[in-house]
Amino acid sequence: MDPLLTFIVILVGFYGLATSNNIIKSVFCITIIESGIILLFLNLGNFEGGTIPIIGEDVVAIVDPLPQALMITTIVIGSTVTALALMLCIKLFHHYGSIEWSKIFGKGDAS
Amino acid sequence: MLSSVSRKLILIAAMAVVFGLFAASLIDLASLYNDATKDYFFEHGFEETGSNNLVTGILLDYRLFDSLFEAGILLVAVSGVIWVSKHDFADKNPNFMIDKYKTPDLFISFARLVYPLLLAFGLYIILNGHLSPGGGFQGGALAATAILILYFIDKNKETDIKRIVTIEKVLYLAIILVALLSLFTRSTAFTNFVAPAAGRQWQVVYLVTLNVLIGLKVAFGLWTIFTAFLKEGR
Amino acid sequence: MADLTLLEITAYALQILLIFIAIAIVLHKNNRTIIILIASFSLVVSALYVINNAPDVAIAEVAIGAAIIPLIYVISISRQREFIVLDRAMDDFIISDEEFTGYGYRLLKQFTDHYHLDLNICNDPMICQMEGPDQNVCERTNVDLIVSKDEKTGTYYLKGKESSLLMHKLEEMAADYSDIEVQTFKDVEFGE
Repeated sequence: MDPLLTFIVILVGFYGLATSNNIIKSVFCITIIESGIILLFLNLGNFEGGTIPIIGEDVVAIVDPLPQALMITTIVIGSTVTALALMLCIKLFHHYGSIEWSKIFGKGDAS
Repeated sequence: MLSSVSRKLILIAAMAVVFGLFAASLIDLASLYNDATKDYFFEHGFEETGSNNLVTGILLDYRLFDSLFEAGILLVAVSGVIWVSKHDFADKNPNFMIDKYKTPDLFISFARLVYPLLLAFGLYIILNGHLSPGGGFQGGALAATAILILYFIDKNKETDIKRIVTIEKVLYLAIILVALLSLFTRSTAFTNFVAPAAGRQWQVVYLVTLNVLIGLKVAFGLWTIFTAFLKEGR
Repeated sequence: MADLTLLEITAYALQILLIFIAIAIVLHKNNRTIIILIASFSLVVSALYVINNAPDVAIAEVAIGAAIIPLIYVISISRQREFIVLDRAMDDFIISDEEFTGYGYRLLKQFTDHYHLDLNICNDPMICQMEGPDQNVCERTNVDLIVSKDEKTGTYYLKGKESSLLMHKLEEMAADYSDIEVQTFKDVEFGE
């Protein structure tokens, strides 16, 4: 596990967020960034030779359980926030008849 | 106005700078993060929370205040989805868009097989949250997936969405009340209401209760969300 | 480099695969293909969670990413690709002899092909005979365009939302027909 490789995933997500014209593509990119950040946090607590954070008979070294506890809620909350964003996208399409940033911001030059 | 190609080049250059800063910060990681919490949880976590799974112990005991607000954000997001979708849910939904695409029969028979298994697996994950990997949040998501399969089996299934949201609000109140019980028994809010001295079998009662409540709340919240989406689309 | 274990090699391979899937998601044009890619992204990422000794997080990711996230993406993407027309005229303007052969249908088909949308015509009698003015029916059933007919003059009205960017093009295309009039009504503001 290399945090640099994970950080490249986050940067790819930011690149897509900045350049994509489609609103749903932007929501996809937010999902990518979120997964990358979760991987970074888990990588922080992990170390070689550690076991999963469950106390058992002969457990001598566990990985840090704190980042994992924070990240579980992030996944569940992130999915609901994605759902809210997509519902807003559907409403935007009903309202403007288009789902692209350039057309919605510059309403005059629709072609 | 710059051309789009040069704008993309500037963006990539800015990202390279950010990447360099991140790589530089990795050298000094020890000042940002250390092993003190990990050692504390490893030595005292089992005695203080009574949970073998330390992740569940942290979620339901040490950081219960955080978990309460995470569950609250779930409630707010569900309310937002319903508010934005602005359907009159009391109306019967016109199903003119569903009829065009028939679900294959093979898929329906397979879904009938999978549905009880998935629901039982979700309940197992919820109930065993303090022993094995799992807990309220994960088990609730699995149970919601099981309920989603029901919609493939029966397309014309009617759901009273207002009742589900009401149940979810009541469950959230119940979670807060169970979390506040420790104020009366141990005079500290938001921790286990059974003292560690009472023995592990009594501490587990609290863990299972709160896991079941959180699991049901997450399942009902996700159920509301995909019902709103299914009403929106086909 | 020589003493890499099998688990480390798998972890590196999965991370490089993750980068490639992310680049494919960002660069791909077709949104329907991206749904498959996002599901596989979720699968690879949960495998990486297991390698990071976090089975709790992996279960949450699998439970969320297997069914619920692809479902909401599928619904929102399929909704942005279709144009729903409610036919309240009830004559051969669009449908004659149970087939789409009317000249109104040809106009609408030409219009939706211009924007690469799927035309979806609804003539369910239960919805079409819903009482009230067209604007209220449009809000309650979430359709994009309503076709209705003035019985006295024989003029067909195509009613859509004023805020929609598509209506200008429809007005241009309908200018050739003398008995078709495009009307727009003001939609309620966003979020009211």
